[in-house]
Amino acid sequence: MKLTVCWKWVTVDGGEPDDRWAGVSPADEAALETALTVAAADDEVVVVSAGPPGAVAALRRALAAGATRAVRIDTDGAASRDVATAVAAIAAGSDYVLCGDYSLDRGTGSVPAFLAADLGAAQALGLVSVDVTRRPVRVVRRLDGGRREVLDVPAPAVLSVEGSVARLRRASLAASLASNSAPVDVVGGPPRSEQVAVVTAYRPRARSLPAPAGGTLTRVRDILDIGGEPVHSESVTLDPPAAARRIVDQLRDWGHLPA
Amino acid sequence: MPDPDVDVVVVGAGPAGAAAATVLARAGHSVILLERGPFAGSKNMYGGVVYPRILDQLHPQWWEDAPVQRWITRRSTMVLTDDQALTVDFRSERWGRPPFNGATAYRPDWDHWLAAKAQADGATLVCSTTATGLLREGGQVVGVTTDRPDGDLRAHVVIACDGVNSFLAKEAGMYGEVDAANYTVGVKETIALPKDVIDARFGVRGREGQDIEILGGTGGVNGGAFVYTNLDTLAVGCVLKLPKLSAQALRPEEIIDGLKRHPAIRPLVEDGEVKEYSAHVIPEAGLSMMPQMTGDGMLVAGDAAAMCLAAGIWLEGVNFAMASGMYAGEAAVEALAAGDASAAGLAGYERRLRDTFVLRDHRKLRRAPELVLSDRVQHLYPEMIANTVERMFRVDNPAPKPGLRRIFSDERRRAGVTLRDLARDALDGLRSFG
Amino acid sequence: MIAVIPVRDGVLPAGSDEAIAECAGRALVVGSGTATTDLVGRVDDVVLVELGPVAFGRWAAALVADVAELTDADVIVCPNSPDGRDLAPRLAAALGRPLLAGATRITAAAVQLARAGGRELHEVAPDGPFVATLQPGVRDSESFPPTPVTRTVESRGDTDTGDATVVEVLPPDVRTMDLAEAARIVGGGAGLDSEQRFEQLDAFAAGIGATMGATRVVTDRAWVHHDKQIGTTGVVVDPDLYLAFGISGAVQHTAGLGDPDHVISVNLDPHCPMMTMADLAIVSDANETLDELVHLLGETDFDGVADA
Ligand SMILES: Cc1cc2nc3c(=O)[nH]c(=O)nc-3n(C[C@H](O)[C@H](O)[C@H](O)COP(=O)(O)OP(=O)(O)OC[C@H]3O[C@@H](n4cnc5c(N)ncnc54)[C@H](O)[C@@H]3O)c2cc1C
Ligand SMILES: Cc1cc2nc3c(=O)[nH]c(=O)nc-3n(C[C@H](O)[C@H](O)[C@H](O)COP(=O)(O)OP(=O)(O)OC[C@H]3O[C@@H](n4cnc5c(N)ncnc54)[C@H](O)[C@@H]3O)c2cc1C
Ligand SMILES: Nc1ncnc2c1ncn2[C@@H]1O[C@H](COP(=O)(O)O)[C@@H](O)[C@H]1O
Repeated sequence: MKLTVCWKWVTVDGGEPDDRWAGVSPADEAALETALTVAAADDEVVVVSAGPPGAVAALRRALAAGATRAVRIDTDGAASRDVATAVAAIAAGSDYVLCGDYSLDRGTGSVPAFLAADLGAAQALGLVSVDVTRRPVRVVRRLDGGRREVLDVPAPAVLSVEGSVARLRRASLAASLASNSAPVDVVGGPPRSEQVAVVTAYRPRARSLPAPAGGTLTRVRDILDIGGEPVHSESVTLDPPAAARRIVDQLRDWGHLPA
Repeated sequence: MPDPDVDVVVVGAGPAGAAAATVLARAGHSVILLERGPFAGSKNMYGGVVYPRILDQLHPQWWEDAPVQRWITRRSTMVLTDDQALTVDFRSERWGRPPFNGATAYRPDWDHWLAAKAQADGATLVCSTTATGLLREGGQVVGVTTDRPDGDLRAHVVIACDGVNSFLAKEAGMYGEVDAANYTVGVKETIALPKDVIDARFGVRGREGQDIEILGGTGGVNGGAFVYTNLDTLAVGCVLKLPKLSAQALRPEEIIDGLKRHPAIRPLVEDGEVKEYSAHVIPEAGLSMMPQMTGDGMLVAGDAAAMCLAAGIWLEGVNFAMASGMYAGEAAVEALAAGDASAAGLAGYERRLRDTFVLRDHRKLRRAPELVLSDRVQHLYPEMIANTVERMFRVDNPAPKPGLRRIFSDERRRAGVTLRDLARDALDGLRSFG
Repeated sequence: MIAVIPVRDGVLPAGSDEAIAECAGRALVVGSGTATTDLVGRVDDVVLVELGPVAFGRWAAALVADVAELTDADVIVCPNSPDGRDLAPRLAAALGRPLLAGATRITAAAVQLARAGGRELHEVAPDGPFVATLQPGVRDSESFPPTPVTRTVESRGDTDTGDATVVEVLPPDVRTMDLAEAARIVGGGAGLDSEQRFEQLDAFAAGIGATMGATRVVTDRAWVHHDKQIGTTGVVVDPDLYLAFGISGAVQHTAGLGDPDHVISVNLDPHCPMMTMADLAIVSDANETLDELVHLLGETDFDGVADA
């Protein structure tokens, strides 16, 4: 059986692009652990990362943990669609492709879905548990409103898991040492995508308020917010003891704690 | 006896470990450098100034690629009372060009850089791996255990560079009783400010930087404080005597806050954004607390061997760590060549330490920590000196100017300092710093 | 612009009303039980496409083959609910169009996308037809006339694309309900420094008659069970009181927060979205503040907490 795991190498906190300030998400680690649990002794577990040379260190970590082969697709800043196509070329013939449910920077969870489209595979994305002892694999997928669905997923399939699904095993010392010089295949990849974005800090979108209804007096009252509860909107810098006292006072004020 | 996995295991990829590994790898030995953090330097904090001249030997022209923030061209010593400050300020353009003197640097950069050099020379760095104990046969250390599955690692020599409170040196029984009085705690805030604001406030340009060491300003706790300039951050912190700190029931962060509110410090740091707060223990007692540094199959270097020179307010640890690591590496090379990894075969280590600045500086300054952290120096002298200078510069017309000698003896008496103590401290000071 | 809303047994997913409003009331409702979907006042002009049980590969193929409304629309918007998130890329792939996922505002000329864990907004100008997903909770819904124009499209929808099969759908479990129905919630985020903090947070929450919740970053670390994750991909809650400790307020989190009357946020960063939306924003270390709160509650003798 062939299993493919997708690892996205992401620089954290906008740090310098070297391996110190970079890594893969807990979800990607969980994907590898799931694959290693599924894999039998002679199965192939391929780890793929489409990214710059810095990703090699992460791939070696995956090899140390038990992956049998690592491939870096040489690219930087390609669109999800193109990443998926490049990954699909390597994942072709896999019974299962395992991904994280979303990456830490782009965070759209679309690469796994594109992969399923490219591979003509089933998809089961955003999983909270994977039962690998069954065939077909039985998984639980998170729906909205706290609901879940239980799915049977025939191979070939793309599964994407949340970070809490599994914790990646620790590599043995010998494997860690060996991985320092382990070979990582490099293949050519898609170019940087041209989509130019204007980047700003996240701000919630302004909401339209309904026009005030009722007679003049109510409308004035509404606008001035008289009568209703006063709107607190306060920002204070406090040391922890004062902050705690302030919170308790405020909770009393609002009636959440007895006076 | 099974063949070892490697010639030498170096535990800890701080400045000491990286230097040791470099020397050994260059001599053609197989070396594994174990680091518990995810990369070299990830967990390491310090004040912020290194004196890297020892690297002239290990990495000539080191300044060409060293990850330096600023070169220290201005070094000041400040004495603070509650509302006074006396500063002795020295600057030299010479320290701003090769071969340089001191520099500010971030440890995640510095240690990473040094470890990468060791790797380039052939050492194998293994991160996220903690040494958990020693493997022993008879009295001989033959390797370490680690927290990885199948994690035993056998070697001819183990060099413990695992930092202050070395677990390995203790396990090897190399430390005597540990006395809390021998430790100080270092706390530090990293404060972000735009580079041009730092340049203007500290009167420096380009890559020039200032190092301010402070006596007083530690809220009555014996210790010292510092302000260092990085490119676009400041390091503001203090070093505090442990017993006094616990007696005073003050929290270290309150002491830093007090320091930042002092009229002489506030203009330097205000409007900065605190990026990071960290605390660490420093072995302070120098010579008197150094462990046994050589054992059968084992050497101890850097902070693990209490090599940090901490004369109260000034701290040199990185240079002592790099030097002792380098000498430990050289001694191990000798021992491996002679096929004798016993303590006798490794004796070259302590000889090198004795013959160089490492132990000489420690010997010379052995009285300094006690002197600098003494109650007189901490609590009486700052008032006395600051008041003397204040009266010296005060124009008290119509009263005529009193002479310096007169003022000083007034202030000495007012502070309750006897001539005998003063003379003794002066002599100690002269022996240490003279 | 047209909203494509995937339904299961006629149940609308989170964010449907907003996606429809973003498309001025035009929608395709696709999936199973479309005829039973409650669409009164929620849509102006709707096409129902009955496709049977969830199977994203098959659905996408059928829609692209048979539904002219879909192929004609320049802009297709799915809600970024779990089903919308998973259907949209399949549609984009089948149509050969780019996907702009996780948007907070969508027009034909400009799309704003939440990126970097909700810390950044990226504005892009599409140069042709595209598929987008709209983040739930970013805008208000609109009300439309009670009798929408409704048509039904037959779709073959029988291509075998090897999709997963649904065994069952589990209702929210009690632990989740607990959070979903709580009137007071204390939430913890990545600003809390250890797993033990969440035990402390839980104790503090209990002390004020509240339930504990957490952000995705925390549940990913498995510090807290994922049933406690508040947000669009976690539990959607609607408390009166929300206390946020070390939470940045990413849109995926706040979109699941309902509309609390009172919000307190403790954070070192005064400018993060959670602080901006708080009634009381306290710049302080959340860990130490929590220590102090536990201490304070320990020594204060409350005669039980106020009724929620
Ligand atoms: C507040 C403060 C301010 C200071 N200011 C200065 C200054 O301005 N200038 C200066 O020169 N010095 C300063 N020092 C001292 C300096 O930081 C130390 O002397 C120096 O870091 C010692 O280097 P080292 O390599 O011996 O140990 P460390 O730098 O402590 O390195 C030890 C390494 O070993 C690793 N390690 C520990 N245990 C294990 C294990 N069991 N297994 C694997 N790895 C392990 C650690 O993660 C670490 O990387 C300061 C210290 C403090 C605390
Ligand atoms: C498709 C998708 C779905 C998602 N679904 C969800 C979801 O359902 N729920 C959810 O929560 N997230 C979800 N996320 C993740 C979301 O984008 C954010 O990454 C997450 O909510 C951030 O969690 P946080 O606020 O705990 O962490 P961060 O964003 O890292 O914020 C930590 C905060 O703590 C503050 N802080 C740090 N130290 C301290 C201190 N000592 N004292 C006080 N404050 C401190 C920092 O200033 C910062 O504001 C989703 C993301 C994607 C892409
Ligand atoms: N560049 C990439 N290389 C390898 N895998 C990727 C890449 N981008 C995304 N993935 C995988 O797809 C998952 C979801 O990412 P995204 O679609 O970017 O949210 C990640 O957790 C990875 O498993």
